[in-house]
Amino acid sequence: MKSFNHTNAKSLAEVKTALGDSKTILIAGGTDLLGTLKDNILPTYPSTVINLKTVPGLDFIKEEGGMLKIGALTRLADIAANPTIKQKYTALAQAAFRVATPHVREMGTIGGNIAQLHRCWYFRKPENRFNCIRKGGNQCFAMTGDNRYHSIFGAVNRCIAVHPSDTAPALIALNAKVVTDRRTIEAENFFDVKKPGNTVLAMDEIIKEIQIPAPPAGAKSAFLKFAIRKSIDFPIVNCAVMVGGDNPRICLNAVAPKPYRATKAEAAIAGKTINEKNAEAAGQAAVADARPLQAARFKVQIAKTLVKRAILATV
Amino acid sequence: MADLAGVNGQREKFRVVGKPNLPGRLSYGIATGIAKYGIDYVVPNMLHAKFLRSPYASARIKSVDTKKARKIPGVVDIITWEDEDIKNLSSGGGFMGPALPFLDNLADQEGAEVGVIVVAEDEDICEEALRQLDVKWEVLPHVVDILEGRKPDAPVIRPSPPPAKGGFGGSGMGGNNNPPKKGNVSYSNVNQGDVEAGFREADHIIEYNVNLPAFSGHIPNPTGSVAWWFDDPYHGEGKSLRIEGTPWGHDQVVGMYRMPAEKVFQECMFVGGRYCDWGIRKSQLITPLLAKRTGRPVRCVNDRYGMYDFNLNQRFIHLKIGIKKNGLIMAIDDFSIADNGGRGSSSFGTTMDQTYGPYFTTRCQNVRQNMDIVDSNRGKMWVSGQHNPMNWDALMVGIYVIAEKLGKDPMDIATLNLHGPTSQTDPDPVPSFEACLKAAKKMMNWKWHGTGARKLSDGRMHGASFRYQQCPRHSVSGYNPKLELRNGVVHMPTKGPVIGNYIMEANIMVVAEELGLEYKDISTELDHHEIFRPWGGGSDGTTASSWALKECANILKKRILEAAIEEADNPPASMGFGFFAKKPAGPSPLKGRKPEDLDLQDGKVVVKADPSIGVPLAQAVKANLFATYSGRPPLALWTHQGKKLDTMNIAMCEVAVDTETGEVEILRFGVVADPGKIMRRTSLESQIDQVMDFTAGCQLYEDFLYDQKTGVKLSTNMFEYKKVGMLDMPRVDLELLETRAGNAAYGSNGISHSLANTHLVIMAIHNAIGKWVDPPATPDKVLKALGKA
Repeated sequence: MKSFNHTNAKSLAEVKTALGDSKTILIAGGTDLLGTLKDNILPTYPSTVINLKTVPGLDFIKEEGGMLKIGALTRLADIAANPTIKQKYTALAQAAFRVATPHVREMGTIGGNIAQLHRCWYFRKPENRFNCIRKGGNQCFAMTGDNRYHSIFGAVNRCIAVHPSDTAPALIALNAKVVTDRRTIEAENFFDVKKPGNTVLAMDEIIKEIQIPAPPAGAKSAFLKFAIRKSIDFPIVNCAVMVGGDNPRICLNAVAPKPYRATKAEAAIAGKTINEKNAEAAGQAAVADARPLQAARFKVQIAKTLVKRAILATV
Repeated sequence: MADLAGVNGQREKFRVVGKPNLPGRLSYGIATGIAKYGIDYVVPNMLHAKFLRSPYASARIKSVDTKKARKIPGVVDIITWEDEDIKNLSSGGGFMGPALPFLDNLADQEGAEVGVIVVAEDEDICEEALRQLDVKWEVLPHVVDILEGRKPDAPVIRPSPPPAKGGFGGSGMGGNNNPPKKGNVSYSNVNQGDVEAGFREADHIIEYNVNLPAFSGHIPNPTGSVAWWFDDPYHGEGKSLRIEGTPWGHDQVVGMYRMPAEKVFQECMFVGGRYCDWGIRKSQLITPLLAKRTGRPVRCVNDRYGMYDFNLNQRFIHLKIGIKKNGLIMAIDDFSIADNGGRGSSSFGTTMDQTYGPYFTTRCQNVRQNMDIVDSNRGKMWVSGQHNPMNWDALMVGIYVIAEKLGKDPMDIATLNLHGPTSQTDPDPVPSFEACLKAAKKMMNWKWHGTGARKLSDGRMHGASFRYQQCPRHSVSGYNPKLELRNGVVHMPTKGPVIGNYIMEANIMVVAEELGLEYKDISTELDHHEIFRPWGGGSDGTTASSWALKECANILKKRILEAAIEEADNPPASMGFGFFAKKPAGPSPLKGRKPEDLDLQDGKVVVKADPSIGVPLAQAVKANLFATYSGRPPLALWTHQGKKLDTMNIAMCEVAVDTETGEVEILRFGVVADPGKIMRRTSLESQIDQVMDFTAGCQLYEDFLYDQKTGVKLSTNMFEYKKVGMLDMPRVDLELLETRAGNAAYGSNGISHSLANTHLVIMAIHNAIGKWVDPPATPDKVLKALGKA
């Protein structure tokens, strides 16, 4: 790994002062960042890495004012094990539990999980072997290469790499908000497709906490992940739902460059009894707009199945 | 069959051999983490070295300017392929394959070491220096799709003809009168009998495909070495060499650097995990040269990406078999297209398969095997394992297909076609096979059903499958062990490191068994300068070297008993003098007896007729004695290429297929294996677990992926190349039989790779859903086969 300066920040103010150019970068759990540094895949290698873990007050789980609040540095393992989250915000607990491996969950944070970079084997090939769109190049190599695990809902900014977070669709399904040091953002508006970032955050903007409103009366949530292996793997497709209340929310991920809110599926299940037939219809609706490349067509079948099964899992 | 050639081969009672859960001599170090592997060595003043690796699948370096790189602080040396020191390195032969330049300016796979080596104060500086090289590449055409590479208009990536015929380690062509190489394709045609006559006699002709995936050996600990030269006052003129990290001992280094063996030293006796990846990487051999040039220790280690350089060949097989109405096979026509890999690839997975194929285990003597062997830039083919030996499932799938066509149980079809123990015309059943089959049916509660006939309560489709194989050992080695009785303790010196740590444990067990001692009583010393090395191909190391130790132990036993009588009749003088003199012992109860009256039991020299009369070994024999033996047991039946059979095994599989997602879950594996005689039970069970792990991996998860346009490997990391995790590994029900039908120690044979397979799960998937899916049967392929993608 190329060397860099490392700073243990003591406060958010100190972090903000240090941030501001592309050569300074934040590290939380480091479970994504360190891999990118070792493989040297970032278009600009940072000269300084600021450690957020030493900033107090960002690691918490509490219910307050009818809302669940989770600090950005809260470990995924803690989220997965938290009894309140398991009972009331089930999709999030299930999602956090399915991230990677126990070791990664002990280090990885929720802030990092939603801000992580996308997965694409061209983007991630070490030493910037493929200078793709997301690094300032002018080509998406996956578009004409091996794209079996890439987007089934087309490109965003000419990129078809998928967002791999497990917690992101759960947060969207639960109608969460992301609170930064300067604004509050609806979770589904948090994501972007940049060079190379995946969020709407400004260069010097820091996530402080996630806020999730208490689920509406009668609503239940669930999360399902489909991956090749039962551990370690990023999703091929994952799905989070919150149904049973007035406004169902269904979100797929790993199917597009940003988490995909399946509004047609929501309309298909809204006000309907949760049963096999209606869940199946919702699944079909979820993929109505899919336009996969040839190799990724199988993901459409998996996506609609996961929507159906996630809905049924709430019963 | 059976160990009739040596001493005590028919032994009936075992105190030590076969006992489970005896810790290995190296186990404590491995389990506690105090074991040091070659690449763990950190020595003062040590430098680091890295090779330039090709970003292209096929390329030539036209020129390289190292000026900028040399200016980086901390860079100590940069050496290129044009340097005389590199040109003078001899390379190749044995496990390195045919002789090739150690380093040149040609890359024949992405990631290949090419052209330049940097030596610097640390690895980061090495990597920065490599980035600062000004390399002028000529990118050459590549082949990573062998079906494309086989086409007449494909660019020719390696115009020279293939080397002369070779075997293990060589890439020569089998067969006779093969057509000359054309484009990227060499040919190997091997025929037995009259295939066309066989087809004329057949009632049905069936055609099917068996496609074998590429497979990575995937050594978990990256390879490399640390080396330094030192002033040595004991071993003659000139400096001696210390090198750590070269697993087969330092033989390669001795040859490459033309050193006397006694001046090359190695302390580390730990090899680390590997599954028949025989390849030695350049990082394990270059460090002596770099240490000599710099005057300092040098460490050179591959990164993990670099460990996907060797793989096991992809192969496409089209089979046509002719059968009678009852399922008896009359003719087999095997046409294959196999990956010849890069320069120096072995004949594993290509021509070697044609000699040791499964077809000769059947009564069918009309077998035609034609193979197109396609040069590629997919890697160096230097791993045996998952489908070696050797395209076995080409026959197993055939048996399944016959069964399906005739509405029969594939076990019955296999039984019909398997020839007897002594030849392809032997009508008798093979006792080991019969025993395995009986146990297997009981273990699995075997109830065969046709394709797509059983749905589970959760809606998934159930499938099952079966295969058989020989339990082989590969007789390639002789053995020359030595045992010593020194101060009342038996010593077993062994050359280390040992590939297959637990071979040595099997040896210890046998020595303890024959000398009436306990396992813990045998003192073992691993020494890289020793001569006796217990390894051999395919479990020969465990069973045949143990046979040699058995012989050696009995020679020592004879000498011990003779010495016991001599010392009983003529006690040696008391030791010490004056106040320290030991009082002479009283008359020995062995006095006046003959050696043939005695035995060794429970650590004592005892009277056979009354074992309660005995003297502890250390007391009975004060003399230091030794015994040597050179030889090996009779050749394994494996050398008859399937035409003679002794010890067998059977594996079975049950799956559940989710037809909505394409997910396949292996519900369980069942294995019944007869290795003849179990030597070290814990190792045998672990080895079987390992191959079933690979079975699951290569048929459901592991995928070698290349970008077709550039030839760049896309799955060379532990995320994308998906080894089985513990949550995915199904249960393996196991029963071990001991028919004693082998002919190494006590009637043992080996287990080797015989349970490694490519289609056990694939056949079960077909049984579940009626569709063929090539391995790895990832969800995309299953859904596509079902028409849902």
